[in-house]
Amino acid sequence: MPELLIDVYDVFMRTYPGFLRAVVVTLQLTAIGVILGTVIGLIFALMKISGSKILRGIANFYITVIRGTPLIVQIMFLYFGIVEFYTMSNFWAGAIALGVHNGAYIAEIFRGAIQGVDPGQREASMSLGMNRKQTMQRIVFPQALRRSIPPLGNQFIITLKDSSLVYIIGVAEIFSLANREAAQSYQFFESFLVVGIYYLVLVMIFTFLLRLYENKLDVDRA
Amino acid sequence: MIIGKNIHKSFGDLEVLKGVDLHVEPQEVVVIVGVSGSGKSTLLRCFNFLEMINSGEIIIDGKTINPKKDDLTKVRAEVGMVFQHFNLFPHKTVLENVIEAPVTVKKMKKEEAEKLGMNLLRKVGLEEKANVYPSKLSGGQKQRVAIARSLAMEPKVMLFDEPTSALDPELVGEVLQVMKQLAEEGMTMIVVTHEMKFAKEAADRVVMIDQGTIIESADPKTFFENPQNERTRQFIQLVE
Repeated sequence: MPELLIDVYDVFMRTYPGFLRAVVVTLQLTAIGVILGTVIGLIFALMKISGSKILRGIANFYITVIRGTPLIVQIMFLYFGIVEFYTMSNFWAGAIALGVHNGAYIAEIFRGAIQGVDPGQREASMSLGMNRKQTMQRIVFPQALRRSIPPLGNQFIITLKDSSLVYIIGVAEIFSLANREAAQSYQFFESFLVVGIYYLVLVMIFTFLLRLYENKLDVDRA
Repeated sequence: MIIGKNIHKSFGDLEVLKGVDLHVEPQEVVVIVGVSGSGKSTLLRCFNFLEMINSGEIIIDGKTINPKKDDLTKVRAEVGMVFQHFNLFPHKTVLENVIEAPVTVKKMKKEEAEKLGMNLLRKVGLEEKANVYPSKLSGGQKQRVAIARSLAMEPKVMLFDEPTSALDPELVGEVLQVMKQLAEEGMTMIVVTHEMKFAKEAADRVVMIDQGTIIESADPKTFFENPQNERTRQFIQLVE
């Protein structure tokens, strides 16, 4: 057992400069995936609760297709499928795939949060003479946003871990680095253990920051 | 001030209001009573167009409202509404709740609105709670804030939809007290309530709704001591 620990330590010490560069790539993929996903999610959530049948139909189609197919298929499709019409780097193909994939889930988070706001809030706002737009902007959205923070945080963690799938199109994020390290050194156990620890630590840091933010909100207006 | 003529309202196949006529004079306080499901809350919600009537007419301050043509936000701004479950905005402080509509709808300057808001909070006895969030208030305090919030729009008429039904018994008095004060100041009010004491003490007229129609309408003394309709007699026996 001590030898094994020493091996893990050796792999860690040998690979950390590369891993630190790869962590940056993983975080970039995650950030783009999250930001793009949030923007797409918001747009499609609004389409889903809109009065227009066409907009609702488009949103439903998007959500059904994206949630009904694996992320890895979407990554491959975007990189190798779209390349016939438009070439983009593997990094951007991966990041956009993550964003588009997340968008479907985040749309449902936002939709649920908006529809979860007590109808009495809308009625009170309207009874005071506020129009639909003012009611949404000033009363419904701020409350919906607070409701959506815990599930959004969860979705962000999933995105961080899902970014590992982008290795399939050769983006140099941390999982691809571990894969290469394992293949070169034949130290499979050590390499995948180390990369697992990287993900775990990143997720723990993220969870901690999220909890700080949620606590702050609670203190403000419990 | 506010007139309903032959109001019909259905939800699907269920006809809730079957031709209601109600004429409320300026400064009049009308209390509407009736068993649950009789349509009294629905009538109130029709008066500020939270529900759209199927047929009939609603006339506010001499003007017949056409829901398809008229700007309903303007109509609603002139008709205050207090709800059973308060419906305060939980993400805003007490003062922010009160000044929200004057600032957003009337485009009042913030300092001016805050001054107005503090005056109204003083009126309902809650100026020291101006900067706390609604979750820190008791039910009675919440309802008093809701009344202040409604008054901030300087409505021509105030509608109260069972304003004390969600309160613990010991908190009912403080809300009724504020409502009585409003009545004495000459506010036109329509109040749906089960508080018969309030009806006797503060109402100019008590109206009984039963199965979607008004079956009795009289001053409180006549209403409680000499009701004409058998159903009203049964109801009064039930609640007293």
